[in-house]
Amino acid sequence: MTDTAAPPVPPATESIVTLKRTPLIARIFENYALVILTALVFLFFTFYPASSAAFPTINNLNVILGSQAVIAMIAIAALFPLVSGHFDFSLGATAAMAQVLCAGFMANSGWPIWAAIVVPILIAGVVGVLNGFFVTRLHMNPFVTTLGMAMLLSGVTLWYTGGQTIISGIDPAITRFGSMRFMGLPLVVYIVLAVAAVAWYFFTHTPYGRSLYAIGSNAASARLVGVRVDRNVWWSFIVAALIAGGAGTMQLARMGSATASAGNELLFPALAAVFLGATAITPGFFNVWGTVVGAIFVSISVSGLTLSGASGWASNVFNGIALLAAVGLSTYLGRRKRRG
Amino acid sequence: MDTQEQPKGATSTATAELALDLRGVDKHFGGTKALRAASLAVRPGTVHALLGGNGSGKSTAIKILAGVYEADAGELTIFGENHLLLGYTSTTAAAAGLRFVHQDLGLFEDLSIEENFALDAGYPRNVLGGVRWGALRRQVAKVLAEYELDVDPRRPVHDLRPSDRTMVAIARALQGADTERLILVLDEPTASLAAHESNLLLEKVRRLADRGQTVIIVSHRLQEVLSVAHDFTVFRDGRVAGALVDAQPTEDELISIMAGGLVVALRPTGSQSHTTGRPMLEVNGVSSGPLRNVTFTAHEGEILGIAGLVGSGRSSLLQTLFGAFEPVSGTMTLGGSPFAPRSVDDAMRAGVGLVPENRVREAAFMDRSVRENLSIAMLAEYWSAKWMPRARETRKAEDLIQRFGVKVGGPSALFSSMSGGNQQKVVIARWLQRDPRLLLLDEPTQGVDVMSRADIYATIRRSAQAGCTVVVASSDMSELHALCDRILVLARGRITQEVLAGDLKVDELTSLVLREPSTRKTIYEPTALEETTTS
Repeated sequence: MTDTAAPPVPPATESIVTLKRTPLIARIFENYALVILTALVFLFFTFYPASSAAFPTINNLNVILGSQAVIAMIAIAALFPLVSGHFDFSLGATAAMAQVLCAGFMANSGWPIWAAIVVPILIAGVVGVLNGFFVTRLHMNPFVTTLGMAMLLSGVTLWYTGGQTIISGIDPAITRFGSMRFMGLPLVVYIVLAVAAVAWYFFTHTPYGRSLYAIGSNAASARLVGVRVDRNVWWSFIVAALIAGGAGTMQLARMGSATASAGNELLFPALAAVFLGATAITPGFFNVWGTVVGAIFVSISVSGLTLSGASGWASNVFNGIALLAAVGLSTYLGRRKRRG
Repeated sequence: MDTQEQPKGATSTATAELALDLRGVDKHFGGTKALRAASLAVRPGTVHALLGGNGSGKSTAIKILAGVYEADAGELTIFGENHLLLGYTSTTAAAAGLRFVHQDLGLFEDLSIEENFALDAGYPRNVLGGVRWGALRRQVAKVLAEYELDVDPRRPVHDLRPSDRTMVAIARALQGADTERLILVLDEPTASLAAHESNLLLEKVRRLADRGQTVIIVSHRLQEVLSVAHDFTVFRDGRVAGALVDAQPTEDELISIMAGGLVVALRPTGSQSHTTGRPMLEVNGVSSGPLRNVTFTAHEGEILGIAGLVGSGRSSLLQTLFGAFEPVSGTMTLGGSPFAPRSVDDAMRAGVGLVPENRVREAAFMDRSVRENLSIAMLAEYWSAKWMPRARETRKAEDLIQRFGVKVGGPSALFSSMSGGNQQKVVIARWLQRDPRLLLLDEPTQGVDVMSRADIYATIRRSAQAGCTVVVASSDMSELHALCDRILVLARGRITQEVLAGDLKVDELTSLVLREPSTRKTIYEPTALEETTTS
């Protein structure tokens, strides 16, 4: 072997080029800014005279966490297509549909509770299968496709309910479950945390979750490292729809009634949570725990505003501003990070 | 080997008669000099061919003329008018009368011909501001007739035959001005055209010149250039290697000017092939995309080169081997067993890796970390533990960074933070960590600096020594010459030649690739294989 051009393998110390690094403190601050902000908002409403009476009570916190659990769940659902670079606007409508079907199956058809929960979730899964088919096989724009799907679903549920709110005939077991507590917190909060933990495991410790990030980064490259791009994107729509279906039945358990709706009151705060989440923990990227923190931030702020006497429109205004600020901030952080 | 350099004194007096006169242009990128006192003198009403191999500087010269790059020094005179090269932009180029038609024609394929014209020159309007379609149609029809295009202006561009599309782009570029005061620059106009389409196009270009149009044509295909050009300027290593005025050179003469005294290869091989002679990959009569009946064998530990021009099917061949395309016909075996990958992960499981040609578009995850860029090819393997701890991947990444001499802040640095050479090392490391049996490399050192290039060559040799079969496709002949034990020449989808390392010099190899096969017969001889295996 006359390998004269022996590879100049430098010692490890030399191969490490010192880059401009953000100091540790600054990085912690950046990663946890949203957590800190959430804590500050919490403290503010605790001591703000107009809300200090009602806000920091155990009851109110339970209401906040319980009502926002559904939104957090939809936010986690939305993560799956978003990480792979696709929007799913039908998740709110899918959840609303599952809620109505679950109530309707018990009230109108007299189904046992387990079937009335499982079947709507499976139907939600079928919606995901359709969304995925349209996007990956027919190459339809995901944004418009899922928007159309949302409209279709809200129309169908309206037809199913005939515009009536389903309130009687719902098995009391499900509403009992919805108000159940464990260690002082609503049980649904633990369900959301469990779903979040599983989602985190999926995104960080399974080839499937990791491949979604790769697809979101560069689908062509992902294809050439053996990722089944179409199949995985398709599954991301299915998983998202199944979780949204679960969120819908949870919403029924919390509210005890169901009305046909487009589900936007669920979807938009959820999207705000997801995009706020992309500013925390791993800034610039969608991630599960950031999403959970984002959901808590949105719910605490909205509740605090409501209790300080702000009118009903305040929560919409807040969610809108939060969504815009979150998208702007996460885009900025992402771009800065990409620039290196 | 300057055949007929323009006499220095003549240029100043002849300037008035020249359509374009570019003199003494220097341009450097970082430490590399792309152009050194380069010049180009174009006579009006002629077709002028600008020739040169990869890295000869001809593209840089064109980009300076187009105002894409700014020259470091030099003078430019167009139709007797001096232009400062400092602060020279694409707007000045257009005002001076230069019109460019690139290989990518820049046409709106789905729109009609008339709209393609109007989007460039503006729509004729009526008093209300609406488009006067009738006027536009008459106007465009007139231009099309001038350029011998017998097509309806309302037809969408994608309906046209390929050579007519190029003509539409040319007509659009030249519309609405005195064409005698314009210089048309055609950058690789025939690269994506089939032979008969090229001929149709070149015939029309020649007739344009007969009518007084000045044309500069850049092309790799020498036979075509010879059929159409009056004058020739050949670039080599950023200098003018030859300027032939009103000449009728032969293909061989041009090739010798282009290839002559090419810089020495980084290191010639030949004596130290690592091949064991056991066939690893056998490809039998494979047709796929542009490939026609490709048959060859690659052996264990062998570095096999695939030489060919753009569009010869180099990349298609590698992608077919990698399961990204399914062949229409033919069979393959890998390590003795049938190999018919139906997807990329099939091929990966069989022990194949591909470093694609376009790093940014097909290999990089720019906004992800180096660690993630490395581990993405190992997901299935890591998953065996049902747990993918970041620490393990970080350790593995640190190990690979050191082993392949990647200069980077650490495993968590973003892929985009590295230089091109280091990015390419990471992409190669991504595959070598899998210990592939067959490694496919498409232009492995494109956009890579010289030092990284040497590292990459050493890495490739080491993996061949370890028994990996390497197939390298490249348009850089000195690279193939330096790296490969054996080189197959691919031309328009067919293997036309087989060359053993040491049999040919780099310039001979260059001429083999540049020379279009006059007859389409396959010169591949299976007996030649036996010689390789025993050497």
